[in-house]
Amino acid sequence: MAALLRLESSTKSFGGLLANREVSLTIETGEIVGLIGPNGAGKTTLFNCITGYMHPDTGRIVFDGHDITHTRPERICHAGVARTWQVVRAFGRMTALENIVCGALQRTNRIAEARARARDLLQFTGMQGRGDMPAATLTLADKKRLEIARALATRPKLLLLDEAMSGLTPTETTAAVKLVRRIHEEMGVSICVVEHVMEVVMPLSHRVVVLDYGVKIADGAPDVVVRDEQVIRAYLGERRAHR
Amino acid sequence: MARIALVIGALAAILYPIPLQLQGTTYYQTVGFLVLVNAMLGLGWNVIGGWAGQFDFGPQVFFGIGAYTAALLYVKLGVDAWLGLLGGVVVAAVICAVLTYPLTRLRGHYFAISTVAIWMIVQPIGATWEYIGAAQGLFIPVKTHNTILGAALSLQFSGPTKALGYYYAALVLFAVTLALMAWVERSKLGFYFRAIRDDQEAAEGIGIDSRLYKVIARSITAAVFAAAGVLYAFWALSVFPEQVFELNWSTLPIMATVVGGIGRLWGPVLGAAILIPISQIMSTMLGTGPLAGRGIDLIVYGLIIIVIAAFRPTGLLSLPWARWFRRERAVVA
Repeated sequence: MAALLRLESSTKSFGGLLANREVSLTIETGEIVGLIGPNGAGKTTLFNCITGYMHPDTGRIVFDGHDITHTRPERICHAGVARTWQVVRAFGRMTALENIVCGALQRTNRIAEARARARDLLQFTGMQGRGDMPAATLTLADKKRLEIARALATRPKLLLLDEAMSGLTPTETTAAVKLVRRIHEEMGVSICVVEHVMEVVMPLSHRVVVLDYGVKIADGAPDVVVRDEQVIRAYLGERRAHR
Repeated sequence: MARIALVIGALAAILYPIPLQLQGTTYYQTVGFLVLVNAMLGLGWNVIGGWAGQFDFGPQVFFGIGAYTAALLYVKLGVDAWLGLLGGVVVAAVICAVLTYPLTRLRGHYFAISTVAIWMIVQPIGATWEYIGAAQGLFIPVKTHNTILGAALSLQFSGPTKALGYYYAALVLFAVTLALMAWVERSKLGFYFRAIRDDQEAAEGIGIDSRLYKVIARSITAAVFAAAGVLYAFWALSVFPEQVFELNWSTLPIMATVVGGIGRLWGPVLGAAILIPISQIMSTMLGTGPLAGRGIDLIVYGLIIIVIAAFRPTGLLSLPWARWFRRERAVVA
């Protein structure tokens, strides 16, 4: 079976710093993949390469049968990849509803249709009643949900969530995890989550990919990956790994 | 409430010059003409500067291109003014698209500087190109028409009804521009422009081609400036570089837009309706008499703008009018 997304030894360096070094991975249709790794491991760089904000120096990225290695972000969105941002990037001076309308207009030119879809997604993400608020005035949790709604409005096949749960309270995190599950189950969207919080990623993901210093060091089922010696070393340091 | 205000405003704009005309004056019709021209230019600038959030300080280039195109068509080929207006609009929009596409690689201050740079390049071209009359420019021969219809159809008003005729011509073009902008604001374009203004990366992430939509935004601005340029050319009966590429063709509308409310449909209209009469009144009140020629009028005018900008940087329309009138619900633009 052809994978939905396939990275073939993608390498990206900034000057002398190798942010991603020959990273190969696949995401199958219907999967939730967790992408983890310590700070500076190259997770966001990988996201930026997949979504076209950066292009790999060498290697290839194939999405849904199309080579998107050097494609621009808006074309990649059109192909069916949507993302959220580590630092939220809502359209601050537009209302919450208008933010989502902008996403929905990717698939229709009719404002009324886009508005209807935006209202559905506002409901779906649990933001009903906040549609007319300027996005800049929303709480962090709502801004993150708004980004997810806006991304979903573009009808993606693959959704990339860059730390959608960092900075949230435990209650908000639980709600966010529930939302990600519902996106997967009810909308049939494949998902890749970048996350620091292990307690979130492990139960949520079907498969976990671990990056360390730009290199993929593990790729497998969550319970296997947490026992991997290299992963433990990357997260907890040398001494713990030898015990 | 909003609809009633619109009807009252439209009636006031239509009836305004009639009592003045009956009194036999023409001065205030010309002030009205200038208000409408600047309101129209402000509406045009609001697209690139307000909605798309890209600071363009060189739209006067397209004011000039519109004026030259229509004047050339009229003088060299005898093409009618309104057809010339259409031609000027198309030529300006196309040239703008070609010039702006490479500029969209630049962002923020660098985009702003590059629009000024293009204006600086265009000026000497206009001043030295023989075919378009170089520094002398082009003169549009007056054609007198016996009927109002004939005058209106050729955009050539003269004699005691000249100011009145051009007032209504400006009103028509202003109304068309306003209607077009109201449509743009609510269309996909309006959403995409504002998305790019608020966050270009995020906009690209949801499938918006930021470079394409910036080019579209600036071409709409250019089209409006070109239309106003054509109107001005036939009013002035001449087109020469110093006049049509004058910096005031962008600074006045930009100030009007900022004072009225940047990024709001009616912002430039309100701003022009306030600033242009003030500048005219100041120059008649303070520009004559013992203080004449010392620029006191411009100093006072500048101070008024500074006061508004300091106390309400988001523009007069952003004041809580709805709360003060307690009727309309708050609308966030």
